[in-house]
Amino acid sequence: MNYGLNKGKNIKMFLFILPALAFFTVIKLIPAVMGIVYSFTNWNGINPTKKFIGIENFKELFASDPDFWVSMGLTLKYVVVIVILMNMTALLLAVMIENLNRGKGFFRTIFYLPNMISMIIGGFMWKFVFTQVLYRLAEKTGMKFLDQPWIGDPKYAFWSIIAVAIWGGAGYLMVIYIAAIQSVPTYLYEAAIVDGASSMRRFWSVTLPMIRNSITICLFVTLNSAFQVFDVVYSLTGGGPGGATQVVAINIYKEAFARSNRFGYATAKSTIVFLIVLIVTFIQLKVTQRKEVEA
Amino acid sequence: MKKVLSLVLSICIISVLMAGCGSKDKATTAAGPKKVTLNVMMSFPRFMDTMQAYMDKFKAKELKEKNIDVTVNLEMPSSDQYVTTLQTRLSSNDAPDLFTISASADLATYQKAGYLMDLTSQPFVSKLYSNVKSTVSLDNKVYLLPFESTVWGYLYNKDIFQKCGLTPPETLDDMKNVVSTLKAKGYTPFELAFQEQWVPQLMTALTLGGTVSGTVPDWTKRMYEDKGSYSEVAPIFDIIDLIMQNGTGRAMETGSEQGCADFANGKAAMFVDGTWAAESIMKVNPKFNLGAAALPVNNDKKCTMVNLATTTSLAVYSGTKNKDVAIDLANYILDDNDSSDLYKSLMFNPVATVHKFDQYSWAKEVSSYVAAGRAYTDLVLPQAVTDEQGKLLQSYYLKKVTKEQFIQTMDKTFKDANKAKAQANK
Repeated sequence: MNYGLNKGKNIKMFLFILPALAFFTVIKLIPAVMGIVYSFTNWNGINPTKKFIGIENFKELFASDPDFWVSMGLTLKYVVVIVILMNMTALLLAVMIENLNRGKGFFRTIFYLPNMISMIIGGFMWKFVFTQVLYRLAEKTGMKFLDQPWIGDPKYAFWSIIAVAIWGGAGYLMVIYIAAIQSVPTYLYEAAIVDGASSMRRFWSVTLPMIRNSITICLFVTLNSAFQVFDVVYSLTGGGPGGATQVVAINIYKEAFARSNRFGYATAKSTIVFLIVLIVTFIQLKVTQRKEVEA
Repeated sequence: MKKVLSLVLSICIISVLMAGCGSKDKATTAAGPKKVTLNVMMSFPRFMDTMQAYMDKFKAKELKEKNIDVTVNLEMPSSDQYVTTLQTRLSSNDAPDLFTISASADLATYQKAGYLMDLTSQPFVSKLYSNVKSTVSLDNKVYLLPFESTVWGYLYNKDIFQKCGLTPPETLDDMKNVVSTLKAKGYTPFELAFQEQWVPQLMTALTLGGTVSGTVPDWTKRMYEDKGSYSEVAPIFDIIDLIMQNGTGRAMETGSEQGCADFANGKAAMFVDGTWAAESIMKVNPKFNLGAAALPVNNDKKCTMVNLATTTSLAVYSGTKNKDVAIDLANYILDDNDSSDLYKSLMFNPVATVHKFDQYSWAKEVSSYVAAGRAYTDLVLPQAVTDEQGKLLQSYYLKKVTKEQFIQTMDKTFKDANKAKAQANK
């Protein structure tokens, strides 16, 4: 690419991104900055006035809010499991579909379809399946293992959420992986076959290294969205039973809207989450980008 | 050249847009009826049609009597988004002229923020029943118009009770007998639908209400002063345990609607849920013989009381530009001629002397407790406390927390809520 830019070209490029940038600034950036400002206040979301109270919200958060840190721990567990399982599932699906001789389009559509449904609706659908369908299925077919309190027992609830999240999200990653696999030049495979590499070997030594930049993107996307997970938990368990699946986003939501209307304190929590996500994704990008190779 | 053209075009568009915004008020100067637009926000979308029809009646009345052409923009966000929407509109100076809030939970907060108009001198106030009036008043001033008031205890299946020769028990020991009789005849005593936290929470609402009003009347006050403890009301677990141990299975997988359906189909004889569930139950089984009674919490008969609460109430925004019309509308909700039909079609309890419709049998049954002086006003607890109670009761049912942990956590939650409140008022 030619980086010897002249000024006119720069302005042109800037104009092209201007609509998106303006949108991003108004809808995302400004509220985010305002949120950080609110985190230093005692605003309750209703009062017309608010008072600056310095870092008191943060002090309370670190000193006397074990619930938040339990939620944080649960979210970290969720992030690790989702990042690994979701990417593995997506990659597996992508490889399997790419190896099909016919019906590629059909399977691609089928696996991508859940992505078109809002996760709130998907969550409610699965809630129905977990609470109404499975135990009746167990009654009718004798498959007793299906009759479990899937979302009613803390033991299973977490994994039910994971399953639904993967169902909803893997299709999107799969499309990215399929595109990446298709862009791997065939001569590399041909050379590998000539060298006598098995199909497994070709996957490890040709496909994987060649799609590293897609892996970077997919890891980034899953990390980011997993930290902010809300909709699927909200619609499936609402953070329950008890508080067993209360991820950080639910904890913040409850603080701001459902429990004590403490907007200031809730934004302080989200500021902390923002910092953690920032650091983790930064590290992830640095580490994975180093391993990318160019064809 | 093109650049100049596009610049001119965009300036034109912007100026047209601005002109559009500015000329709003000019249209009203012409002769004929004065035009007024009222924005009304309410939290019950299921009654959209009924309320819209009532607003049309108001429009006709206002045009006839005062020559004002009112346009009512009725907005009904879904209930889980209602509070967020309302708060956003209030804090962005885009408040609706009238809006509903929950009297028991939010009156003090909204009054303090200065959003509520003082309605004490309005004609509707004199029509209110005195026990309802007190739920919408603060320091002897009326700020809200009560819409939905509930009188509730638990629900029971009258047919099952009759078959077993039972009547609603008055004490905890009576209740134990009822439970063993029901079990002996092959019925499950209680319907459990604990999937949504607010349903198990109803048990704490009822048992705390009864216990506190009957035996430790200053408990709530002391809790707000950090001088009380849940250990004082620990006997509430007697009845909670009885309910949990004698209920239907799969409680954590049963949502409130499913619970109503199961109850309507006779799966259990009793259901700790309010009379608001009647609509769902009767929809599933229109022939259902529904009863409602006060839940006994101990062996003291005077603790067996029903809960009286005013939930959804209408407020007039203090900064409204159409004060007179907005107040007219508020008064019209309790109109001498039309209000009775409205409240009847909404299935709400009567709140004022103008309501002369026949109540449903179950509503009459709980109202008879009120008439006998056996009702308490819903305890006003911090939202965080109510929320935590529901959460902990789920865990308690799953045996993940013990009674002692329940008490400990609730004491802490209450203190934290007090602290948060103090901080917000700094």
